[in-house]
Amino acid sequence: MCFKYTSIYKHFYIIFDDNYIYIEYISVINTHGVHMPKHIISGLKYLAAVELRKKGRNQREIAAELDMDRSTVSHYLNGRNVSWNSIEIATVIRNTCPKDFLALTYALIKDKDKTRTIIKTCLDKKYDCKVKTSCIGCGICVDACMMNSIVLDDLKAQIDPYWCCGCLICGEMCPTNSIEIKEVKNDGENRDDR
Amino acid sequence: MMEKTEMIGDKDISVERTGAEARKLNFKNELCGSCGICEKICPVDAIEVNPTGAMVRTEQESSKLEIDENKCVLCGMCSCICPYDALDLEIKGKTIKESDEYPHLLKSSEIDEDKCIYCKACETACPPGAITIARELPDRSKLVSGEIEIDKETCIKCGVCEEMCPAEAIELDYKFPTSDDPTIASNINIDKDKCVYCLVCKKACPVDAIKGVCRLCSYGDYDIKAEDAEIKGSSDINEEVCVNCGWCKDICPVEGIKVTKPFEGTVDINQESCQGCETCVMACPCNAISFPETEEMGGISEKIHIDEKYCIYCGACEKACPVDAIDVKRTKIHSTPVKSKSWEKAFESIKN
Repeated sequence: MCFKYTSIYKHFYIIFDDNYIYIEYISVINTHGVHMPKHIISGLKYLAAVELRKKGRNQREIAAELDMDRSTVSHYLNGRNVSWNSIEIATVIRNTCPKDFLALTYALIKDKDKTRTIIKTCLDKKYDCKVKTSCIGCGICVDACMMNSIVLDDLKAQIDPYWCCGCLICGEMCPTNSIEIKEVKNDGENRDDR
Repeated sequence: MMEKTEMIGDKDISVERTGAEARKLNFKNELCGSCGICEKICPVDAIEVNPTGAMVRTEQESSKLEIDENKCVLCGMCSCICPYDALDLEIKGKTIKESDEYPHLLKSSEIDEDKCIYCKACETACPPGAITIARELPDRSKLVSGEIEIDKETCIKCGVCEEMCPAEAIELDYKFPTSDDPTIASNINIDKDKCVYCLVCKKACPVDAIKGVCRLCSYGDYDIKAEDAEIKGSSDINEEVCVNCGWCKDICPVEGIKVTKPFEGTVDINQESCQGCETCVMACPCNAISFPETEEMGGISEKIHIDEKYCIYCGACEKACPVDAIDVKRTKIHSTPVKSKSWEKAFESIKN
């Protein structure tokens, strides 16, 4: 009996290789003086809380959605208990491309559902998701999508644009290059069509 | 998280992907016909069939095919098209062969128990040995009628009847003669369950000690009940092993078997380029190819004979032929509806 092993995520070490992410932290820490990834998480949660507040949610709803204490939400929204450095770094992370934003957030939070919530709340970009008929329904994208936005229907992938964060990991992993994701402007016009 | 592993156990292979939708592709070497359809349909070129000629002619250490786990995406196309069910994809522990979402080859072989006379012709002919016929024969004693008796006073225990009895129904208890009992056997018995009243013993007895009569011709119709002559049994086709070649259907004397083949097509052998090397004969999983028998010296009209009655157009012979003398064309695939366009295209691609 022989046993071979490979990870199909090997080129996504940024997501799954903790050591690599740790090296990333150190460079962040040195330039900004933040000591713990926890603080960056607080920064991300602050950004998410502010976004939710903008959408008109009350503090109780925000607390439930982000799995926080109501009092913490209250402090955050009033600019207390969270350092401006953390918010600054969280903003930098949010402004990276969706794939990096997703990868860094997941590396920090290490929880798929919480990562989904933060990404969904902080990213308000819309995407046009197309799956070509060349899709063979292998399901790699279904497993690869961190946002759980893909399902298989009649041996063809279907992407829910509501949950798509535009990370394009699905398209990169697709063995038949069947996935096409384009950012759309808020008026619905395709950005690439300008 | 999603991880892919490949296990090679003996000659069977399995490729597994963990994740939300765990998938596992199992390959059973024993069932594989080396036809190469999987190799043809694989959208990512992950399957390679090892040279058939070498596989069938010599004992090989390796599997009939190789699956590159770095390329395989576990889409299940090979599993759906394999006419020998050697490949099977499981999703969340359930085989896709039982899922309506995936297309399946329509292939089956069934024995009609009402028609079957348990002659075992199909069992003998079945190339992969998938058929088992279990039969219970009637009691021989109920199919004969007569009377027989040995006059033990007259009998000299010579043993001639015992030696001649074709049914081995007569038995003597031999012993060494003593001064007290100067005989060579203590007893002689006829087993009425074995005796068929052929009366060979009666004719052969040197001292006319046996009296007997056969009633079969005169009273047979009254003495023997029709239900006593009935042969009971059961038949079974092992679906996993069955290749749906149609041998059983063709050889069945009572037309009691229905076979649906997975493909329709044609086979052509180029008799000129054929070298008569026998590789195809050995490779064919359906025993459809043979060397023709000659009636007279030098009377061979074709080097290799193929009977399409037994062919499922899998293409194993074409793949095995070292001189490309065989051309197998598939013109139709019998399958449940193919719902996806790319799958439809893939299914079309194995026709030629």
